[in-house]
Amino acid sequence: MVKRMVSKPLSWIERLLFIDFIKGLSVTIRHAFSRTITTHYPYEKLTPPKRFRGFFGHKVVDGNEPQPAFDEWVERFNIQVEYGKSRCVVCMLCKRACPVPQLFEIEGKKLENGKRVVSVFNMNLMLCTFCGFCVDACPVDCLFQSDIHETASYTRRDSILDLETLEKIGRDWQMRREHEPDRIWIDDEQREKLWHENDLRLPEPEARGRHEW
Amino acid sequence: MESVWIDLLVVFLKIIVILAVALGVGAYLTWVERKVAAHIQRRPGPMVVGWHGLLQPIADGLKLITKEDLFPRYGNRFLYNLALVLALVPATLVFAVVPFGPEFEVFGYKVKPILTDVNVGILLVFGLGSLAVYAIALAGWASNSKYPLIGSMRKAGVIISYEVAITFAVMGPLILAGTLSTYEIVQSQIEQKLWYVWVQPIAFVVYMFSLLAETGRIPFDIQEAEAELVTGFTVEYGGMKFGIFPLVEWYIEVLTLSAIGVVLFLGGWSPINIPFVGFVDPLFFLGPLSPYVWFLLKVTALFLFILWLHWTLPRYRIDQITEIAWKVMLPLALFNIVITSIIAPLIW
Amino acid sequence: MPWAKEKDFIDLKERFSGLEIKELENSTSLHIEKGKLIELLSILKEEKGYKLFLDHSVVDLKEVLEKEKDWRSLTSSGLVAFPEDRSSRFQAFYILYNVEERKKVIVKTRTDGTLPSIEKLWFAGKWAEREAYDMFGIRYEGHDNLVRAFLWETYPYFPLRKDFPLEGIPEMDLPSLNEVFLGDPLEGTMNYERKHTLVPTLEDLEITEKKRLKKKAQIVLNWGPLHPGTHGTMWFLFDLEGERIVQCDVILGQLHRGVEKLAENEMYNQFLVYTDRMDYISALCSNQAWVVAVERMLGIEDLVPEKAKYIRTMMSELQRINSHLLWLGTYALDLGAITIFLYAFKEREKIMDIIEGITGARLTISYPRVGGVRMDLPEGALEVIKAFIRRFPKELSDWERILTRNRIWLRRNKEVGVLTPEEAYYFGATGPVIRGSGIPYDVRKFEPYDAYGEVEFDVPVGEIGDCYDRYLVRIEEMRQSVRIIEQCVKKLEKLPKDAPFFAEVPKERKVKLTLDGIGLKVPVGEIYSSGENPRGELGFYILSTGGTKPYRVKIRPPSFYNLSAYPHLMRNRVVADAVAILASIDPVVGETDR
Repeated sequence: MVKRMVSKPLSWIERLLFIDFIKGLSVTIRHAFSRTITTHYPYEKLTPPKRFRGFFGHKVVDGNEPQPAFDEWVERFNIQVEYGKSRCVVCMLCKRACPVPQLFEIEGKKLENGKRVVSVFNMNLMLCTFCGFCVDACPVDCLFQSDIHETASYTRRDSILDLETLEKIGRDWQMRREHEPDRIWIDDEQREKLWHENDLRLPEPEARGRHEW
Repeated sequence: MESVWIDLLVVFLKIIVILAVALGVGAYLTWVERKVAAHIQRRPGPMVVGWHGLLQPIADGLKLITKEDLFPRYGNRFLYNLALVLALVPATLVFAVVPFGPEFEVFGYKVKPILTDVNVGILLVFGLGSLAVYAIALAGWASNSKYPLIGSMRKAGVIISYEVAITFAVMGPLILAGTLSTYEIVQSQIEQKLWYVWVQPIAFVVYMFSLLAETGRIPFDIQEAEAELVTGFTVEYGGMKFGIFPLVEWYIEVLTLSAIGVVLFLGGWSPINIPFVGFVDPLFFLGPLSPYVWFLLKVTALFLFILWLHWTLPRYRIDQITEIAWKVMLPLALFNIVITSIIAPLIW
Repeated sequence: MPWAKEKDFIDLKERFSGLEIKELENSTSLHIEKGKLIELLSILKEEKGYKLFLDHSVVDLKEVLEKEKDWRSLTSSGLVAFPEDRSSRFQAFYILYNVEERKKVIVKTRTDGTLPSIEKLWFAGKWAEREAYDMFGIRYEGHDNLVRAFLWETYPYFPLRKDFPLEGIPEMDLPSLNEVFLGDPLEGTMNYERKHTLVPTLEDLEITEKKRLKKKAQIVLNWGPLHPGTHGTMWFLFDLEGERIVQCDVILGQLHRGVEKLAENEMYNQFLVYTDRMDYISALCSNQAWVVAVERMLGIEDLVPEKAKYIRTMMSELQRINSHLLWLGTYALDLGAITIFLYAFKEREKIMDIIEGITGARLTISYPRVGGVRMDLPEGALEVIKAFIRRFPKELSDWERILTRNRIWLRRNKEVGVLTPEEAYYFGATGPVIRGSGIPYDVRKFEPYDAYGEVEFDVPVGEIGDCYDRYLVRIEEMRQSVRIIEQCVKKLEKLPKDAPFFAEVPKERKVKLTLDGIGLKVPVGEIYSSGENPRGELGFYILSTGGTKPYRVKIRPPSFYNLSAYPHLMRNRVVADAVAILASIDPVVGETDR
């Protein structure tokens, strides 16, 4: 269906009485006496949604690994599993899936008992596009993207995440947000400011639990 | 001999008061504008420096003053700086003929709250107003850059066109008042029990349009036009030198022209007017302060209206602006003069 | 499929002796010798009705010519014109569209370095030829002003040729980039190279500028590259007589990143990331267009689950509103109505919130995947979208109250930048620009992809093709998008919660489809598939030799060709119109430059 857009010229009455201006002015004055909608950053902050694609982290072994995938991969690569340490099985799939593979620097080392463990896992986020392909590729739900988005730093060194930082972010995430339901976002006061005029009523979250992708 | 000294002292005091008020208020109008604009756009505006950002203008001023003073290569330094002076001085000088209230007595000495009640006051206003074109033309030329040049040429074109329209527009009230002195104009409005806006609506509309055009407010802010010319003739100015131009154009000039508009059309310091019947003063309890409050209220209302327009409308194109000036505004103003000069003698 | 059939061109076979017609699965192409090319194209344009110029570029066959296996597979599937000719290195293709009969055709020819110019037939061809010259070094005979489209004039290489390395040639010392205090903190592997690829000097830029425009009038105004009115880093040259623009040209390339070169070295799914960054304001629509193109090539378009299709449609319509809101805001901002900008951003922020909550990113979304979408909708997504579209039309009419009937708005837009229908074809305009000129060309209708075939919406068209018509068309498009979203939401609410959102391909098809797209192989073939972006038709010409990476990807950027009308529209207008016309064309530099 084709819809023709037509416009008729201003009438004389509109012209003489400045009706067009008055209409516009009425809109702006109405807005002027409505509530402001801005978030007063950095004094107030929005909570990013759970799916937010921010800084990376390594989830640590805590008994909630995706089974049976985790055990299979651990067996396949002969990995030493240690409680509270990264789940990484050094499969390099993240590096393969990455559009800029140079940003990963992954190495495993052999322990004395013949098992392997990840020793180096550096991500140079100066090259990263935060697309999340590596997260999709990770078979053991180890690599993930957290809600950390304030990432400015003084040196380039800070933009390289090493294994320790990744694990720290992961532990933090597992403590804070891992158990949130997969919901579009968490209602907070700041978001309410913007969405107030839309009369938004989000239903109560249904099931609590991990969400996977 | 003694009275001369007293006169001088009084004038000196008036100058200090007026300058302090004009420049201080001018600076704080930036805060007002930012707040108004912000709330129209659903933002809170400056909130961090002081209570609701009240100290923001001071912070901005400090920032601008401490900035590096840049000067374009091959520019003309003398004219470059002269433009600043030419912009600031005439705009503030106009306050000399703005009457703030009725005459009052202090220690038996009569004081008019106007710096100089010259009997060509209005002429002075528009004489000084057209000096602004020099400031802008010089600023554009001395910067030795293309954008300022285009911006200043645009502005010069606009001022020249609207100078004519505005002068003819104020003829109407002048014919009715029969004087050029600003103080006398208000007096005659009070005596005739009539704000001239009631009988001079055309002149008022033309005056408002010309006010917007002369001060470079939307819908006539083509010399700034940040989307096309990146603030036009002030491109090459930095620091406080950059700050002065908008301060003068957008605040001090708007303030003076609003004040003159209030004097010409809205009865100066007189309270609310019922045409030909008299004045109603809801603020009578303020006693002798009431006229000043009324004057202030009217100027503020006019200023806020201009802000409201500014933050609502789009802007015209240069050729359309001059076209409106010559093809619509000037004939309207002339028509108004003719009608007024035919009817006015019949009534008064 | 909307491709022309062999029988349409039977009569041409008599007039052109060497003409071959190849009807393939995903395309129909005419193979013609270089000498008869112009004649054939003009007959197609004048007599056959293929008036709309979509795209032209070149494929460098060097690697195929060297690899016998690839050569055989390409020639046996009829993808190469004149397979007996093994010395000509390049294959040029022209993609034309017949709007009345809704048919596309590709015209192919072989060359080893020169081609006749089609500038007289389609002005858009002039720009396409500049690009091909820039990237491949093809010389065009009869071209009016053959300059490099993106790179500067003194750049010695042709980067899209297969023998140019992906990383570029590091040959320049840029000490300031490597300057560090207190030793180098990044000593080691993860560091920038010490040598940099070539960077233009000021002299180079001056030569570039001088070659573009011969000064005729008073002053040449450099409008850009960094200028708030140019919506990005575009460099316009205005030759001014007073404020009147006598002639005008555009220097592109400030944001050139070689996306097409990158595409040749990325897997199919990974290239999504780069489509995000082409038209960064409507990333989802670009994603969708790419994903659909690859799905069509794989032949799994009908295997994509319904849910994924509806989600993609809904999201990309949200993105369209988002993009049009940015357009409206900046358009009004350019014409001085600053407040509209903030109002538009208020609504835009809500869409951003929605998109962020569903996909995890606000701008560079990468949400669709070949075969579906990355994740299912989260809880509450549909409620939020419903709340948004309930309110949005009200806001829209608020803004219209300020602008649409405003006398200033009317005067600034009416009769400004008039593009007649014939000119719209001539400049290869698509999207709201061609619809503003009164031609209802909309890929969503003409060649439905995803769920567009199943939802109802109108295509708004303008009357005379001025800025005001384009404004009206875009405003109406937002309303139509709301309509589409409503229908999608209704459909998605009906679908069960655990319905699949990613395709499952039967084993015998031998398509390895995963979310991350590792090892996805695409069969030998070519396709030109397009999607309706907010700015126009975003097309992808993909040539595959059967590997995990495409052999050649040509992107048809809508704003690049829309922008080619700009110098024409600017003739004899003033500087103040420059912003109005530019904003009504609404180019995005990430896309024009790629």
